[in-house]
Amino acid sequence: MRLGVQEPTMNVPVSVIRLPHGPDGTSRGFDPTSPRFQALGPATLSSSVPGNAVQLEQEQQGRVVMRERYLRSLSAMAGHPVRFTMYEKVNVTALFEASDIDILNFHVSELQTPLGVQRDALLRCSDIISYTFEL
Amino acid sequence: MTEWQRKTPLEWQKYVTKEVNVTAAEKHDYKGWVLTVDPVSANIVLVTFLEDGKVSVLVVLGHAVQEVGIVKEADDEMREKLALLFMPGESQSHGQEELEKRKSSLKTWLETNHIPVTEQGELQRTLCVAGMLTIDPPYGPEDCSSFNEIILSRVQGLIQGHFAAQL
Repeated sequence: MRLGVQEPTMNVPVSVIRLPHGPDGTSRGFDPTSPRFQALGPATLSSSVPGNAVQLEQEQQGRVVMRERYLRSLSAMAGHPVRFTMYEKVNVTALFEASDIDILNFHVSELQTPLGVQRDALLRCSDIISYTFEL
Repeated sequence: MTEWQRKTPLEWQKYVTKEVNVTAAEKHDYKGWVLTVDPVSANIVLVTFLEDGKVSVLVVLGHAVQEVGIVKEADDEMREKLALLFMPGESQSHGQEELEKRKSSLKTWLETNHIPVTEQGELQRTLCVAGMLTIDPPYGPEDCSSFNEIILSRVQGLIQGHFAAQL
């Protein structure tokens, strides 16, 4: 059983026969030839300076730092009440659960809507103007 | 695609650790310190330190950003506060010796579990699993980075198990 790997009380080492494959053209990831990468549009991932190795390295370095900080801010938000300001003057509150890697959808729970509380919901990020939470 | 979304990472980086005013869709205005700009979605993370010690975080989605104006630069204290926010375990200090011990014990543990591990970086401080995942000091589950979330969660589970076994 796969879940056995994560059991904290494991005494006998579990042999991992193979690790999952990395990103390629058909799976998730940032392979520049993948359909997913192309669909995201060049502006989100392209380099400003194609062909200049030094500047590309610098740009990648900056990208890594900024992305890590953003991902850490998302994991800090998990389980906290978050207020979402959406288009057409809609304001809702919900507990943040998770996001997909492209930041296109947020999974939230206990979403307070004018029609009642929705236990689980997906919010499209394209409908959101801003969100805020306190720590 | 707005002008803000079309910017490059180096251009976004100019706003990081600056105090800014952001004008967003539907006449919303926000002010705060820029913690980061997500290079994938162009979302801006604004931080405000409240008087009661709490931290208020406001994120403006990249597609809704209309204008960003820099108000002022951060001083050293503010820069440090922003750098430490959300970062795991950096505040607690581990001695060089203890880090070395943690690293070798984790390496042995991973190898016992038939996971290929190498050391990399200038000082060989970073552990690298199968060329796909890195573990930085102090080698906890929170210190793993990988672009493959499946490998990430499996190795984090293993490290969790390693610490549980030690207690």
